[in-house]
Amino acid sequence: MSDATRTGAPGFLLSRLEDWARESSLWPVTFGLACCAIEMMATGASRFDMARFGSELFRASPRQADLMIVAGRVSQKMAPVLREIYDQMPEPKWVIAMGDCASCSGVFNNYALVQGVDKIVPVDVYVPGCPPTPDALLDSLIKLKERVAADSRNARHGAQTTAGVGIAHDGTTGPTTR
Amino acid sequence: MTEIANPESRELLTVNMGPQHPSTHGVLRLELVLDGEVVVRCRPVIGYLHTGIEKTFEAKTYVQGVVLTDRMDYLNPLGNNLAYSLSVEKLVGCEIPARATVLRVVLAELTRIASHLMFIGSIALDLGASSPFLYCWREREKILDFFEGMSGARMMTSFIRPGGLARDIPPDIVASISTFVDTMPGYIDSYEELLTGNPIFRERTEGVGILPADDALALGCTGPVLRGSGVALDIRKSNPYCGYEQYDFAVPTGTIGDCYDRYLVRVAEMRESVKICRQALDSLPDGPVQTSDRKVMPPPRAELAKSMEAVIHHFKLWTEGIRPPAGEAYVGLESPRGELGFYVVSDGSGRPIRVHERGPSFANLQALPKIVEGGAVADVVACIASMDPIMGEVDR
Amino acid sequence: MSVVDDALGTIFGPEAISVPADGIPTVRVPLAELLSAVERVRGELKHSRFVDVTAVDHLTREERFELVYLFYSLEQRTWLRLKARTDRDAPSITPMVPGANWYERELYDLFGIHFDGHPDLQRIMLPDDWRGHPLRRTEPLGSEPVDFTVTRSVYARD
Repeated sequence: MSDATRTGAPGFLLSRLEDWARESSLWPVTFGLACCAIEMMATGASRFDMARFGSELFRASPRQADLMIVAGRVSQKMAPVLREIYDQMPEPKWVIAMGDCASCSGVFNNYALVQGVDKIVPVDVYVPGCPPTPDALLDSLIKLKERVAADSRNARHGAQTTAGVGIAHDGTTGPTTR
Repeated sequence: MTEIANPESRELLTVNMGPQHPSTHGVLRLELVLDGEVVVRCRPVIGYLHTGIEKTFEAKTYVQGVVLTDRMDYLNPLGNNLAYSLSVEKLVGCEIPARATVLRVVLAELTRIASHLMFIGSIALDLGASSPFLYCWREREKILDFFEGMSGARMMTSFIRPGGLARDIPPDIVASISTFVDTMPGYIDSYEELLTGNPIFRERTEGVGILPADDALALGCTGPVLRGSGVALDIRKSNPYCGYEQYDFAVPTGTIGDCYDRYLVRVAEMRESVKICRQALDSLPDGPVQTSDRKVMPPPRAELAKSMEAVIHHFKLWTEGIRPPAGEAYVGLESPRGELGFYVVSDGSGRPIRVHERGPSFANLQALPKIVEGGAVADVVACIASMDPIMGEVDR
Repeated sequence: MSVVDDALGTIFGPEAISVPADGIPTVRVPLAELLSAVERVRGELKHSRFVDVTAVDHLTREERFELVYLFYSLEQRTWLRLKARTDRDAPSITPMVPGANWYERELYDLFGIHFDGHPDLQRIMLPDDWRGHPLRRTEPLGSEPVDFTVTRSVYARD
């Protein structure tokens, strides 16, 4: 589904180009926190090689990244930092909650952790596992790419989907898959 | 050591090397006060990964606690399992079969090799060399394959438990480990070829971050940080556990305690670990891998159909868990970062009343201001990398 | 190790010495004598390397916190444990032992034990504005109820 301002065949092609460009070059910001960060590094290393899916580089500066993979447990002290880094990322941006701790605090249901990062930032893909294998992280990246490729301007902010129906930025509903 | 450029006009600038940083090895925050390029003061701020694990232990049984130990020093999960299991076994007072003890040594040394591979990769990456990272990870992936083959999980295996191992390691995996151990020295040579004689690497690490031995001891440092400063303390030699006294290996030490010394100590330690693995695998006996003490480890399933006692033991273990007598135990062992130990206090019930991890990185990191202050800000990265801290163990 | 035990018994009195399951000689001292005990342990008893200090919260005792200090001797290659009980405050050993700095801060943060003479006693693990001392056994774990579908009530929100 295209943005309402892009009309006609050139507008359609341009938005398709935009979707393709964004989907093929999702550059994550380095946000490795704990054990999941090690598996994220494994995903970037040569056996699993995230670069062939477009995530060529991890950018240290959030201003240059469009994907935040929250890899690890988020403590109460780290939560404001997480939100600040998320806010510093330019639109459009996506969040993958990697691992059980990021999705729901995992093994650590206690005072010290934020019980799931979706309490602070909107999450697009949750990856289960403690830690998830690099295969699982790549699978989540591919699922995110499918969503981004379908409509990169509107399939963001962890848009709530029920049974494949998406709620678009301009309020209309319709299928999100091509 | 660089000098302060203009002592009269000191414009001090406070820079935050924040918890989100590519080179801080996790969520470490440093408040650096700079005079030009010179670090005048460094104040580490930790706690960004505080997970309340020690409190969580009190709500779990002793076997459930093993799962939590994996996630503290997450580059040495089997070593953490081992330290915790040794403390609980001291409390309970059970006999560990010989095969389990030897396999524990093999797994602990494999984890040490994997951790040091990660160290070499990350110190090289931090200083700008990206190839050693990929080469080291190639070997690390082989080790993780062994862990996955024997337990199902690549990293957090929880394989070493109070009473022995979770299950026996399949013979084909033992054979693969044996082959891997034989090929490893060649790979270590290839990493050394890239880094040890490399003039840029040496320029950035020699003479940088010097930690004198007296300061290292006073600040509680252990492991390669202490050995890099010349103190030959290795718990595997001084207080052997799990049969380390029967293996022949050396304890490498540095001379002046700079980053280069700490790097050399870790590379040499990898070679020694390979030797220990080889000796352990050559002497691997047959037999069970779990203690026969039915109050600690469950009976084999086949016995449940035949013996009422076995059923009762199984039931009690699954409902109450291990119930050690009231007391306390601490067993210190040598992790890739230094002296690691779990202080476990029991009151006789199925849950501990206190579990405290003596993590080596917590003490080692106290020495960071000492080695960073007075040096250039660009050397901070080399210093942190050479300390090899793991924030999961620092913050728990 | 019996040589160390004899020396310990002479200095601290035999009823203060015990050896728990791990074989590490443990000395119980009154809080007022803690600093001098640490000096003697590190000096004449030669256990100069500081390993660890932690606390155990025994709820049922009047002096609920038991401080547990661990030292190591490089010459004799043995550990030695020192214990002292307190209900709120304790003298800081950081001026003597720089390595105890962060350990005492952690105990202040998580147990609320105040160390007199510590150069920089503030919270280390938890945010600076946190209230409470979580590792005390009177404080709850702080867990959140987990939302399983089988335990949800029929009329709860979808």
